[in-house]
Amino acid sequence: MSKSLPGPENEPQSELAAELAQERFVFTPPIDIYETEEGMVLHADLPGVSSETLELQVQDNKLTLFGRVKPPIPEEAQLLHKEYEVGSFLRSFILSDQVDYDNISASMNHGVLKVVLPKAQRGEARRIPIATN
Amino acid sequence: MAFFRWGHPWSPLGDLEREVDRFLRGMNLSIHGIRPGRQFPAINIYELEEEFLLTAEIPGTDPGELDLTVDAGLLTLKGVRNDVKEIPDEKFRRQERFRGNWQRSVSLPDRILESELHAEFNDGVLVIHLPKAQQPEPRRIRIVDQQQKAISASSNADETMAPEKPSPRKIEVDQEEH
Repeated sequence: MSKSLPGPENEPQSELAAELAQERFVFTPPIDIYETEEGMVLHADLPGVSSETLELQVQDNKLTLFGRVKPPIPEEAQLLHKEYEVGSFLRSFILSDQVDYDNISASMNHGVLKVVLPKAQRGEARRIPIATN
Repeated sequence: MAFFRWGHPWSPLGDLEREVDRFLRGMNLSIHGIRPGRQFPAINIYELEEEFLLTAEIPGTDPGELDLTVDAGLLTLKGVRNDVKEIPDEKFRRQERFRGNWQRSVSLPDRILESELHAEFNDGVLVIHLPKAQQPEPRRIRIVDQQQKAISASSNADETMAPEKPSPRKIEVDQEEH
């Protein structure tokens, strides 16, 4: 998994765009998002994607996942029955500033991506003493 | 002192709907949406010279909960996906992924060596190998001369008798180490 941090020297988006242009099929993976005490968890179905072929980027407030899929069958195989196309997966999300960007973590397990988006710690409310003259 | 905050107090992905960004829209790409209302799992079947291949997308299925059987020419795939079962429904912001039990059955072409079936499961994709059986050789039927006492039959003659019903066979799934 590569994590590209935004910077003036690299432009991950245009790299991604170039890669995407070579893809025959790009699918929007189905996702689940649920809340936890600590923040949010996102699951995405990416069958055929491994941690090596997944790119997860956070740039500014945008989280982008791009998973490349290598067809699991030899090229010369003849298709007899088709219910799905083999292609790559792409989806991106706008995050709010309530996410602790520096502590986003992700893992892949049997073709499912799990991204943990921790809640940023808010400062405690502070009582401001008022002086009286 | 009262605080007012519009909308949800904790909504880090509140703008999720704006997922497809301008930069993607500007590209001449065919982006396919979520494939709705289809059977889970989707399967493809391919043919090679020596074998048929059945592939199924079953991300998030624990291989231990995957059950593949062959019985009388019917291949059955059974499994369960419950990776978010501990999460109460009201915690979900999005629920697009399939969950629960699933089962699919596929009739095998009759020229399959059922005893040689094997399967692999990598990154949520199941590949079942279905080796083709050799076409049977034309069988020569020996004609027995009534005069001869010894009745000889071809070695394969028993096959025309009622064959034993094979018991359901379980297919082992190979799995890549993670």
